[in-house]
Amino acid sequence: MILEEGVLKDGTKFILVEKNTLLEELKNMKNQGYDYLILMSAVDYRNYREVVYHLGSYRDNRKLVLKVRTEDDVLKSSASLWGSANWFERELYDLMGIRFEGHPELKRIFLPEGWHGHPLRKDYDMNKEQYVNMNDDGTDTVSFNPEDGW
Amino acid sequence: MEEKIIEVNFGPQHPSTHGVLRLKVKLKGETVLSAEPIIGYLHRNAEKLSEFNYYASNTVFMDRLDYVGNHNMELGYVMAVEKLADIDVPERAVWLRMLFVELNRIASHLVWAGTMGLDLGMITPFFYTFRERERILQLFEMVSGARLTYNYISIGGVYNDLPNEFDAKFNEFVEDFSSRLKEIESLFKENEVFIQRMKGIGILPPEVAKSYSITGPVLRASGVNYDIRKVSPYLYYDKVDFDIPVSNGMDNYARFEVRFREMEQSLRIVKQVYGKLPTGEYQNPLYRKSGLINIKGKGESYVRTESPRGEFGVYVVGDGSKKPYRVRIRSPAFQNLSATNEMVKGSKIADMIATISTLDPVFGEVDR
Repeated sequence: MILEEGVLKDGTKFILVEKNTLLEELKNMKNQGYDYLILMSAVDYRNYREVVYHLGSYRDNRKLVLKVRTEDDVLKSSASLWGSANWFERELYDLMGIRFEGHPELKRIFLPEGWHGHPLRKDYDMNKEQYVNMNDDGTDTVSFNPEDGW
Repeated sequence: MEEKIIEVNFGPQHPSTHGVLRLKVKLKGETVLSAEPIIGYLHRNAEKLSEFNYYASNTVFMDRLDYVGNHNMELGYVMAVEKLADIDVPERAVWLRMLFVELNRIASHLVWAGTMGLDLGMITPFFYTFRERERILQLFEMVSGARLTYNYISIGGVYNDLPNEFDAKFNEFVEDFSSRLKEIESLFKENEVFIQRMKGIGILPPEVAKSYSITGPVLRASGVNYDIRKVSPYLYYDKVDFDIPVSNGMDNYARFEVRFREMEQSLRIVKQVYGKLPTGEYQNPLYRKSGLINIKGKGESYVRTESPRGEFGVYVVGDGSKKPYRVRIRSPAFQNLSATNEMVKGSKIADMIATISTLDPVFGEVDR
């Protein structure tokens, strides 16, 4: 369900869709020829997060921006539609804290497992340093105590 | 003797992983069953850092993304900000941007060719490619004062005009580069071992490439004719003649072939651009020095560009203040790398190294 339509500053058409119909709309767009997931990004507007899908096509220069808003940071995963969504969603989970339901393996991609917080959130505390150390089995531990780091 | 399945950590400190790539590889004998790339060892979060600086200051972070194709990275960001804040760029600056972006594409592919040779145990081509790259870097140094992180393309134009001694050096480079390129190519192509190790290895079918949002030479080597410079032309790419090299080989050799043809085409563009350089301003006078810190943007913009590795773009969200509200980087190497497992499973471990080197990942850009 499309809630809002318009044109972005760069001239691209955008649509804002209802959260529960996200996967349907993406599938719909893919069938209409938007077979190229250019970029997935998320913007933190403090009260809600906006996840932005830049869709394109491998045949021509059409472009469309699909947006969805979430307050509880849970969305449906689109990894079944595009292979690239797998890493995009892992990245958004890692840095923005958005959980994608149905993702095959949702874990952090850049930061070590156990990191506290999601850095791209506006309320992330940048002054608290975190220290990483590696365990014998190859997993990481993160703590706020400088003596735990290496 | 029975072959056991073992799990090996390949990297992050290994000379042939092009930086800090770690691969968790499941092996049966010498056959790769699966390979999971683990990234993030060079993560600096350029996206977050960009939220704390003026629009014009952020180009330095873009420089440090793809550190062998820096001009292309600056361009992607700068063009997005110019769209956002409605900034005009003088004609000469646009041509200058094109000149350096294409020279940078050649330099980047030369680094790739040299390091790919190293991965396959060929040391000689490395010296030849780096000798040529050095001449391009000297051109960059002349205009920007830096050899690696140029910060040359700035909002509203470029940082500096061409110095007087540029002309002689440039012509010298353009004159003999195509023969030097043939020489470098023959070092690879006349080597039977090289061909044996590239042909039919690392197959990437076009449907898989499309699903993984792969772009750039890797995509075109899988038979998909898709280049942002042609699909949605930016700068003045619609005013110059050039072809998009495409190969249907889908394998390592096809990717090798496509990149070498691309260097020839870039040289073609560079020659035309230099001939067409108009006189005039190289920087919008409103955005010199102090004007740069007063840039304000409201809205959202994303501009697509073709970097040496594929589609590069920066999604900039402005809230009307002097600093961007959100910066999101679309890095082509990150996407290309995500298909590693599809390409290497079932191959031998030595072929896996060759395949990864033809993907040409640069970790400044993958990890951001």
